[in-house]
Amino acid sequence: MSEHATTVTWTLNGKQVESPPGLTIMEAAKLHDLEIPNFCYHPGLSIAGNCRICFVESNRSPKPVISCSERIAEGLEIQTHSEMALEARNSVMEFQLINHPLDCPVCDKAGECVLQDHSYTHGPDRSRFEENKTIRHTKKLGSTISIWGNRCIVCTRCVRFCDEITGTGELCVVERGDRSVVDVFPGLPIENSLAGNVIDICPVGALIGEDFKFEARIWDMKKTSSVCAGCSRGCNIEVQSLDGFAKRIVARENPEVNEWWICDRGRYDYRYLLAADRVTDASAGGEPIDSDTADSSLNDLVSENGGIVGILVDPMMTCEELHLVNRLSSTLSDCQVAAWSTADGEAESFPNGFTISSDLHPNRAGVGAIIGKDAFSTVAKGLRRSLDAGDIDLLIVFAGFPHPDLEKKWIESIGKAKVRIVFSLQSGSWCEGADLLLPSTAPLEKEGSYLNQDGRLQRVRTLIAAGQQPFPSELVRLQALLTHLGERPRSVSSSGVFRELASSVEAFSDQSHSTLGESGCVLSSGKSAVGSMGGDA
Amino acid sequence: MAFKKVLTRHVGKKDCHTLKFYKKQGGYAQAEDAVKNQDPDALIDLVKASNLRGRGGAGFPTGVKWAFVPKHTDKAKYLVVNADESEPGTFKDRVLMEKNPHLLLDGIIICSKAVGIHHAYIYIRGEFVFAYRRLLEAVEEAYSDGLLGKGIFGSNFDLDVTLHRGAGAYICGEETGMLTSLEGKRGEPKLKPPFPAVEGVFGCPTVVNNVETLANLPYILEIGADAYKKIGPEKCPGPKLFCVSGHVENPGTFELPMGVNLLELINKHAGGVWKGRSLKAVIPGGSSAHVLHADECDVAMDIESLDEAGSMLGSAGIIVMDDSTCMVDALLNIMRFYHHESCGQCTPCREGTGWLEKLVHRIASGGGRHEDLQLIQDVCDRMVGKTICALADAAAFPAESIVKKFPEDFLHAIEQGGSPASRNRSRAAVGGGTDV
Ligand SMILES: Cc1cc2nc3c(=O)[nH]c(=O)nc-3n(C[C@H](O)[C@H](O)[C@H](O)COP(=O)(O)O)c2cc1C
Ligand code: SF4
Ligand code: SF4
Ligand code: SF4
Ligand code: FES
Repeated sequence: MSEHATTVTWTLNGKQVESPPGLTIMEAAKLHDLEIPNFCYHPGLSIAGNCRICFVESNRSPKPVISCSERIAEGLEIQTHSEMALEARNSVMEFQLINHPLDCPVCDKAGECVLQDHSYTHGPDRSRFEENKTIRHTKKLGSTISIWGNRCIVCTRCVRFCDEITGTGELCVVERGDRSVVDVFPGLPIENSLAGNVIDICPVGALIGEDFKFEARIWDMKKTSSVCAGCSRGCNIEVQSLDGFAKRIVARENPEVNEWWICDRGRYDYRYLLAADRVTDASAGGEPIDSDTADSSLNDLVSENGGIVGILVDPMMTCEELHLVNRLSSTLSDCQVAAWSTADGEAESFPNGFTISSDLHPNRAGVGAIIGKDAFSTVAKGLRRSLDAGDIDLLIVFAGFPHPDLEKKWIESIGKAKVRIVFSLQSGSWCEGADLLLPSTAPLEKEGSYLNQDGRLQRVRTLIAAGQQPFPSELVRLQALLTHLGERPRSVSSSGVFRELASSVEAFSDQSHSTLGESGCVLSSGKSAVGSMGGDA
Repeated sequence: MAFKKVLTRHVGKKDCHTLKFYKKQGGYAQAEDAVKNQDPDALIDLVKASNLRGRGGAGFPTGVKWAFVPKHTDKAKYLVVNADESEPGTFKDRVLMEKNPHLLLDGIIICSKAVGIHHAYIYIRGEFVFAYRRLLEAVEEAYSDGLLGKGIFGSNFDLDVTLHRGAGAYICGEETGMLTSLEGKRGEPKLKPPFPAVEGVFGCPTVVNNVETLANLPYILEIGADAYKKIGPEKCPGPKLFCVSGHVENPGTFELPMGVNLLELINKHAGGVWKGRSLKAVIPGGSSAHVLHADECDVAMDIESLDEAGSMLGSAGIIVMDDSTCMVDALLNIMRFYHHESCGQCTPCREGTGWLEKLVHRIASGGGRHEDLQLIQDVCDRMVGKTICALADAAAFPAESIVKKFPEDFLHAIEQGGSPASRNRSRAAVGGGTDV
């Protein structure tokens, strides 16, 4: 054992406490459930110490000290609510508000604004400032972001983000004194692929996403914790929706995956949910049919087929959906399950370590772990060969791709199945001539789990309220089919399906939806499943 | 013992700024001796023993500051000379750079040898174009004479000096603001610790010293610490440049022993208050200092004495105001400066400096109320000691002291519809005469 002190004993508001050494007062206080107000502090960024709202009283200083930069030490005594501490923080709030426009009623940040929060606890109820306020610019900083300068409290979080996290350095403070405001250099707008994070971390409504401007009030929206389906990284997100429609996606903290950040694709790419070419209705032989007819048609096409079956899954499917496919395949006498995916995107990595994967699918590892390691490679090759030889009697295709960029060869092969059932998100050539076309559920519309590239299993959740789905999900339809085939007495929830998965696939055996919690779990064998997976056929 | 000028003794003589002249007067002898013969630690001890205090404003003991620089480090060490002189009322470093630039280089070499520095920067105020040219010439002369560059004075000690021009920001005179600016970033002060001596420019240990501080070094080496300590008060000794401006007959820079009496300085050296008027107020240490009322001016000009008098020596920029001065207008002028110059990062300074200017402006232009005086005091209280650098204090000190010591001027402006100057301006604007 080392002889070094492993804790520091200090006093917080009269109570002796112990904390790990090296922490700032603010960090250490947080471990004791005391949140000290802050604006410029952000756990993911360097310490600027400029806003001064985190003032506390220390026995080691005649003046108040800032708790975001001052570190704890043996014997330190900190008062967070003494007269000196409160006066210091109240002072800062009074200064913060004198030039602030206080236009909360039309500000998109209202409801989650740190300035609002602190002015409730530290703000005077009336202002002693009767002079004219300073006016600062409102302008676009890039295609997606604008600055409402009058609201800027010059905390420099956004500037430090572009310096330290992306290394792109687009943002800077221009002017001095109370004219200070965030800007970009002429002709060099903020356009990096993580840019949207500056909107999340702006403590006030100074950085506004053009996408969300005037779209909804914060308090009206429903907030759903989920996982981004934009790539195999699986960043944690919060989907904010109104009446079942996504209004905004923001980053959700997960130190193990994405820290506090998400990329702009993850943030903005949900408009496909409402795309004009989205498949929303079932059809048979090109003719629209109602949902009930579609269900019985699915049941009939599968149960009446006695020949060779192929199933083509996609890595947008949840682990639960994949498990149901496995069940289906095992009830059919001659069935092979292969997987396909769209072309790779652009991988990107940033100085602080944030990476965006070129694999645009959230659950490739899940396919590997549940369907099989060779699903994309040898099995896929085999299925294609059988299709091309005209040997496949029934093909069930899953094409839940928001941006289908699919190989022509595959699409030709698909067309050679004698009977074809297609679940698809977007309409496209793979849907043409299908005997039965069914709408796919998009990632933000389903409950389940994804296994990311690092073997971490995480929950995805739907933003649509129960009973509000416009069409039955794959989870429902596949279970109904299994019931029809005499395979299970009744349908269960996605958590129930997960329980079945856990009891049938070793890698998932210790898990349940509740063990995954808000930030997921690494599967013991998940990593190896990912590591040894082949590429597409 | 009669005081003999040291720093400016040759000012006014022909070609006093040239290397030839400087060397003829025995210049660079101390630097050469230091480089060739002196032990660095002994040099630091000598400067400590001399009680030399920084001349940039804060008055920190120079030898002590040098000793904070880590002795053993893999990093380069730097000296950054603070030549940003922008404190209102201060123009002493300018005289040295224009008239005696080699004295500064002499001091730079001594400091570099003592601390083990091989690269010094001179961060010079952007508006000082002439001083910049003079320094540039001096540096070039020194390089061609082997006083700078590789193996100076034929020793194995290397020293480069680089001039860097500021772009006209007062805040770049604050040491950490200067260092960030030198790094090519926006000139903003940084949180301390880490102090520059440990982590300064480019993340390396850095000595920051004022021009005048360094200019004292050759003399300390020449006469020794004991003799030096006898010039003026022992705790704060040495020859000192005092800048006198404002309502005096003979404004200028005067070299006198530290601790000279302020009234003697004004009356004897600066020719007394001009136009036969009487003294109203003096700001003794640059505009950032607390104002002194005329009857507080019988004070010695050194750090301790001015502290006791409730003000500070600061940069020794002495601004004299006669009895015709309206203190509301004087304060407005000062507040405009700090509002303009605050870098804007800390909330109390960013907002407080603007608020103060707007408040004083309203009083000066006739919209003042009695409660405003208390409000000025409150705003000052809420600024002092709550920011990253001392600019917020520098703005609050003149404000609170001028309001406190000259309430009658403020009451007059509040009750009579503004300050005299603003009343004149509005009368002129409607076609009336002025009564200057
Ligand atoms: C707002 C502000 C402005 C300053 N401006 C100057 C300046 O123009 N020149 C200077 O030498 N020191 C200035 N200082 C003081 C420096 O921060 C620093 O204390 C000094 O350069 C150290 O050198 P010295 O120890 O030799 O005095 C300023 C300080 C503050 C807070
Ligand atoms: S725009 Fe927002 S994040 Fe950036 S400095 Fe201003 S308040 Fe801070
Ligand atoms: S990096 Fe990948 S998972 Fe993360 S937000 Fe972007 S697309 Fe989504
Ligand atoms: S006190 Fe003023 S000048 Fe100094 S760092 Fe803060 S805002 Fe800038
Ligand atoms: S949070 Fe500590 S100074 Fe801003």
